[in-house]
Amino acid sequence: MIPLILPLGDEALLVRFDEVLSDEANRAAIAFAALAEASDLPGVAEVAPNLVSVMLRYDPSQITFDRFAGEVRLLFSSTEGVVESSRAHLVPVAFDGEDLDEVAAILGLSRSEFVASHNEAPLRVLATGFAPGFLYCGMHPEALVVPRRAAVRRQVPAGTVLFAAGQTAIASTPIPTGWHVIGHTPFRNFDPTVEPPTSVRAGDTIQFEAAR
Amino acid sequence: MTSIRILRAGPLATLQDARRPGLLRHGISASGPMDRSAFERAGAWVGGAGTTGIEFTAAGLRFAVEGGALAMGCDGGSFGLSIDGAEKSWPARAVLKPGSIVDITPGPAGNYGYLRFDREIDVPLVLGSRATSSIAGIGGMGGRALVGGDVVAFGETAPRVPSQHPRPSAVRQGPIRVTWGIHADRFDNPTRQRFVSEGFAISAQLDRMGVRLADRAGVFAGATILSLVSDAVVPGDIQILGDGTPIVLMRDHQPTGGYPRIATVISADFDRLAQLRPGTELKFEPVTVAHAEALNR
Repeated sequence: MIPLILPLGDEALLVRFDEVLSDEANRAAIAFAALAEASDLPGVAEVAPNLVSVMLRYDPSQITFDRFAGEVRLLFSSTEGVVESSRAHLVPVAFDGEDLDEVAAILGLSRSEFVASHNEAPLRVLATGFAPGFLYCGMHPEALVVPRRAAVRRQVPAGTVLFAAGQTAIASTPIPTGWHVIGHTPFRNFDPTVEPPTSVRAGDTIQFEAAR
Repeated sequence: MTSIRILRAGPLATLQDARRPGLLRHGISASGPMDRSAFERAGAWVGGAGTTGIEFTAAGLRFAVEGGALAMGCDGGSFGLSIDGAEKSWPARAVLKPGSIVDITPGPAGNYGYLRFDREIDVPLVLGSRATSSIAGIGGMGGRALVGGDVVAFGETAPRVPSQHPRPSAVRQGPIRVTWGIHADRFDNPTRQRFVSEGFAISAQLDRMGVRLADRAGVFAGATILSLVSDAVVPGDIQILGDGTPIVLMRDHQPTGGYPRIATVISADFDRLAQLRPGTELKFEPVTVAHAEALNR
């Protein structure tokens, strides 16, 4: 997959693998971020993977955009690759969300059928970074895809488990959301008193299990 | 122990240090002063300032000194300053005595002013920084803005260096310069042209997260704004919301954004933009990344 390099202001660039979310583009972005981090790029200040892109921030007092982009481009042809160190996490969920019945109804499932389908296979962490410790996990099969809600909830608490667009997401801090609330978890992927403040990385796997 | 007691704080006065970079993947933007050059100048006035200072907003700040004497530098925008009832010039350096009352009052220009001191503010480092992140709720005074009654305590004295009278960077009057954004190609040519040729105005909706612009010419009124797969955000990104409202994302920006970004304010013009008051009209001028880099050198 040949990505595009775009300037992002005058101190960062974006390596974009696609404009739509696909499993292939997501895996490519996560793998490229790991490669970039392991590559000791001159002037690099930060590497942050997202759903289908990777942001690389550089120190403009050390290197220009043109030179940095050249160094980044060299990595595209790297055949070495970096072994994704993927870790597995077990996340207990109380499936008690206020939108659970509505979601199950949209999918033509009973509550327990939905929970069983939802938890059937482990999901991959597609991206982090939307909010402190926030996790996007996917992708669910076509049969479990529902659109977002029409209305946005102004705030859901930390630990809320969200569902939309073929994904399950976990909020680790209070956030506004237009996704369906399907449950709650005691799992927190954010602790500002430790470094790093999150423990789950993009590319890790999450196995959800019904609690209680 | 030397401290100051906040007697009156305008909205969103926060403790800030240089910033907390490198944590976007964890969902934390870097924060730090809205006007970095003014923050640095306030430190230069002190000569050997602690890394952390107070950022206050247009309404100003009033405080009392307790415990011991303290050197202070202040800069940024244009504010009224009095110490124990005596009017002082702005910006300034001052030595404060225990019991001194410092009153900073609204002035003719700027949204943000800075206070730096000859010692460190005694709040814990959170992830390597004392900067308050209003969006993540960490750093500074328990992750929140300062309010009347707060006591800001000081720790170690910073190493002395000669105090300077920093020269304010010549304030440019022209357009705010931008580089084209990661989604500029999502806007048609006429829209991109009008983004440059028409003016915008700073709206009353501004904070550390973003500055909404008034689009009186309706540059984005008819544009179809699609929600996109989200990418990382940087300060200065100009994002067009679903209803066509342009918003410049600032120091406490959301870490990722899913609305199209037409342009990004260059580093050299960011501080100036942050200080523009509601109602100020502005234009944008696209420059190349190479040009923006040359301005930083």
